[in-house]
Amino acid sequence: MATRFRDGDADAVRAIYREYGRLVYAVAHKVLGSKTLAEDATQQAFVQAWKAAASYDPARELGPWLATIARRAAIDVHRRELRRPAVALDDVAASHPAVVSLPPSAEQAYDVWEVRRAIDELPEDERSVVRLQHLDGLTQAEVATRLDLPVGTVKSRSFRAHKRLAGRLGYLREEGP
Amino acid sequence: MSSDDDRVAELAGDDGASLDPADLEELEELRALLADPSVWAEPDASLEDRVVSAITTEASQRPGRPVASRPSSRSRRGWMLTVVGVAAAALVAVAVSFAVRDTGSSSEQFSMALNATELSPGAAGDATLTKTDSGWRIELDATGLPRLDGGRFYQAWLRNPAGVLVPIGTFNEGEKVTLWAGVSPRDFPVLTVTQEDADGDQASSGKRVLAGQIRA
Repeated sequence: MATRFRDGDADAVRAIYREYGRLVYAVAHKVLGSKTLAEDATQQAFVQAWKAAASYDPARELGPWLATIARRAAIDVHRRELRRPAVALDDVAASHPAVVSLPPSAEQAYDVWEVRRAIDELPEDERSVVRLQHLDGLTQAEVATRLDLPVGTVKSRSFRAHKRLAGRLGYLREEGP
Repeated sequence: MSSDDDRVAELAGDDGASLDPADLEELEELRALLADPSVWAEPDASLEDRVVSAITTEASQRPGRPVASRPSSRSRRGWMLTVVGVAAAALVAVAVSFAVRDTGSSSEQFSMALNATELSPGAAGDATLTKTDSGWRIELDATGLPRLDGGRFYQAWLRNPAGVLVPIGTFNEGEKVTLWAGVSPRDFPVLTVTQEDADGDQASSGKRVLAGQIRA
């Protein structure tokens, strides 16, 4: 697979993207905060990974290597945006990369990678509960209403999901500042 | 227990009274991680084809590298959907013509007819694409497009089968416009014109007013 990816084989590229594309995108989005720019950076990251594939050591984990490339590609896009012609600050959205402070650290970027991967590993029924609780800030009763489920079912799924995530991601907290 | 503890306990899906402080602390830190919107962000489905296209295009241009294998049936369907028309402004017709002209010099040249969309039913035009050392010069001549001003303008794009868009210039009126492209129309055979606003969003608005295509 690595050889075919390095040779630019479309099926190999597609397989690598399906395995890691959303993780790379999550890192890029963390740096840039913009869907469009994150997609640009994701595309750049995969092209750069392809170009660097010949020098990739198969003994290394592919994830951290790709996460590093993703963060660098996103920072390149961030810098490109900073070089755009100046406009009045009032005309710039608060979320624009030029307004956002320094990009996240490599550790923060990789945290996003790991959290995203852990979420993707959850069963779909647990993942949807966790998403509504955290991204949308819903209570369990609200989640139950949204998903048309008994509250007890939501509680069970939430408990299982959080136990899985805590076990999977506990090391991130231990390594924090 | 405080309201924050209640919230954390609720996330655990358990009776808050049965959780010990270590569990509560772990869940609180987990909540912070999971609240990051980047963790939940999803790219557009078309990004996969764009990534594949970007890499296979570069790979095919490198000497000594194998040409990419044929695209998956899913990307072929995606390509056809892209050509036939997606989103709000469906193409009314796709009448295509092109010719390779001998200009008396060594320049490669294409021409194409540009057809109206539902957004601009009275518009029509043509484009001539000429290869030069500086890139592809595109001479576009269109009628039936009202002038856009005051922060609004037209933008032209070349698009490849994977849906990758390359911007080739902006203008206020459609008559006798010269644009430039750094990519070949052989690789990016669809030319579209959209209505845009100077809002800092570099992506296409999707509001197509003209479209044409080189026949494969």
